[in-house]
Amino acid sequence: MFFQKHKKVILFYSLLSLLCAASLLFVYQNAAFYDRTIAKVVATDRIESEKVTDMHGNEDRQFTQKLVAEILNGEEKGQQIELLNDYSYSGAYDDEFRVGHELFISIDRASVDKEALTGEITDIKRDKYLVMMIWVFVFTLVIVGKKQGFFSVISLAVNALLLSFALDIYVRFPSISLVLICAIAAIFFTAISLCLTNGLNEKTYAAIIATLIGTIASLTITYFVIWITDGNGLRYEEMQFLSRPYVMIFMASLFVGSLGAVMDIAITMSASIFEIYEKNREISMEALRKSGMAIGKDVMGTMTSILFFVYISGSLPMLILYLKNAAPLGFTLSLNLSLEMARALAGGIGIVLTIPIGLYTAIFFIRRKQVRA
Amino acid sequence: MNTLLILAIILFGLMAFVGGKKGVRSYFSLFINFGILLIMLFFMLDPKMNPIILTLIACVAIVSVNLFYVNEVNLKTKLAFVSTMATLVILFVFIYLMTNLSMIQGFGEEEIDELAPYSLMIGIDFVKVGVSIVIISTVGAMTDVAIAISSPMRELIYHNPSIERKELFTSGMRIGRDILGTDTNTLFFAFIGSYLALVLWFKDLSYSIGDIANSRVFVAEVVTILSASIGIALVIPVTSWVNAFYLTRKNE
Repeated sequence: MFFQKHKKVILFYSLLSLLCAASLLFVYQNAAFYDRTIAKVVATDRIESEKVTDMHGNEDRQFTQKLVAEILNGEEKGQQIELLNDYSYSGAYDDEFRVGHELFISIDRASVDKEALTGEITDIKRDKYLVMMIWVFVFTLVIVGKKQGFFSVISLAVNALLLSFALDIYVRFPSISLVLICAIAAIFFTAISLCLTNGLNEKTYAAIIATLIGTIASLTITYFVIWITDGNGLRYEEMQFLSRPYVMIFMASLFVGSLGAVMDIAITMSASIFEIYEKNREISMEALRKSGMAIGKDVMGTMTSILFFVYISGSLPMLILYLKNAAPLGFTLSLNLSLEMARALAGGIGIVLTIPIGLYTAIFFIRRKQVRA
Repeated sequence: MNTLLILAIILFGLMAFVGGKKGVRSYFSLFINFGILLIMLFFMLDPKMNPIILTLIACVAIVSVNLFYVNEVNLKTKLAFVSTMATLVILFVFIYLMTNLSMIQGFGEEEIDELAPYSLMIGIDFVKVGVSIVIISTVGAMTDVAIAISSPMRELIYHNPSIERKELFTSGMRIGRDILGTDTNTLFFAFIGSYLALVLWFKDLSYSIGDIANSRVFVAEVVTILSASIGIALVIPVTSWVNAFYLTRKNE
């Protein structure tokens, strides 16, 4: 009886668990697939520990540990290797290793003929934690969100692939503007996310149109302000990972960054206005507009604060590092936060603008429906 | 003129125009939150302080501002407060485990060149700072979900006082599911926006999938996005349960 009723659900979870187990098994045993040499720590011994004080009077502790690790791939597979590792209490750019950690290493060729192999640690193997994390995420979303949760996982995955594809196009044809590529990708992002999470219906179409108008409107304002003020106060020099013209990357990032929040507002507005209309088809447009605005007021504040926290939080380690290195406060804040602030403000403008835009688009769709009926 | 100042003025105008009094309050809450984060930052500079405890205190302040100042003090916001804090504690444990395991704290090799002039030996535990980043990035979204579930649940029992605890819980979950998709989407795109340059960097420098999947910056970013989304998902059953439990208990 129980199995009959929940056959599909049980099948789905079994399939998901199987996939999960298979992928975990793979990342735990995939050393042979890497070109880089991987070794697993089998013994550690802390050989040195000293107190250090830097030029700004910050106290820290520095340690040296001797590791014995077993090589997992390549010609020296199965052999043991001795490695030295320096690490600090703060761990800003180093790590303490324990038995069981897997590391990427380079073998010191001069030591191959000697008694014990020696080498250098180049990086840490993190792929299994990445896969583990992804599965915890998938299971949490599916268990809590059921069907909707599953579809949001799918939509995130599709969007991530789409983004990667869009950037590939840009890398291959750098003469096309990145902003233009992101604008075209944005249309797909919006359509895919909203259709997957809300189905194919008028609500969704209204939300897609509102998202696109809202994004364009808010970006026009932001670009115009940046242009008219000549970007005064924006400290591009602190942008990280730059391999391309930075202004263009920043503009494109404004586009993508605010898209999710604008989409969220657009679907909230259109879903609730359609809902009110379905419940009472005689409702006047004026009453519909009033209820819509009331809903908009409720979501506006929380959405802007979501963006704000996402953008500010990432700068925390940088701020700490600067301030601990005796950099002046104003300089530190403006250098590390100006672009994040601009992103949060641009996103906020998008959110607020989309409230009336979403409202009137939904009303327009309802009117059209009435005329046809 | 300063770009940020003009953007801030435009945002204020729009929020006041569209949102009225509540819009103005929401706008100022952003600055209050910024102030809370700055104060937290100053305390974190002291190596004797534990960043995790500081983050927890900052979260109490942030959640209070977002719930009690922007909305008002009533049963709905109080229950949302309890639910958010309970979920945060669960999330803390999970994130601490994850950050510790995957060794993603601090700065990656892609960032380290530009940090050459700075001393990295500053005596502050970056694993704990890493936990703080994840928590701060999701606390806004979690509060949002908690209040979005608490308010309609309160309405539900008001209009239908004889509703059973289990039924109330199920409605809470249903409301939560509708928000889950859109809120994870919001977080996802916001993060992608700020890390667009990183993805382009990987592509330009022809990182292999193996390189990316093990890179400190990338794994840190994924752990942050996914933990933030897990936080949103977890707050749904917790809020539904807290509300269902408290609201029907008063009924008996």
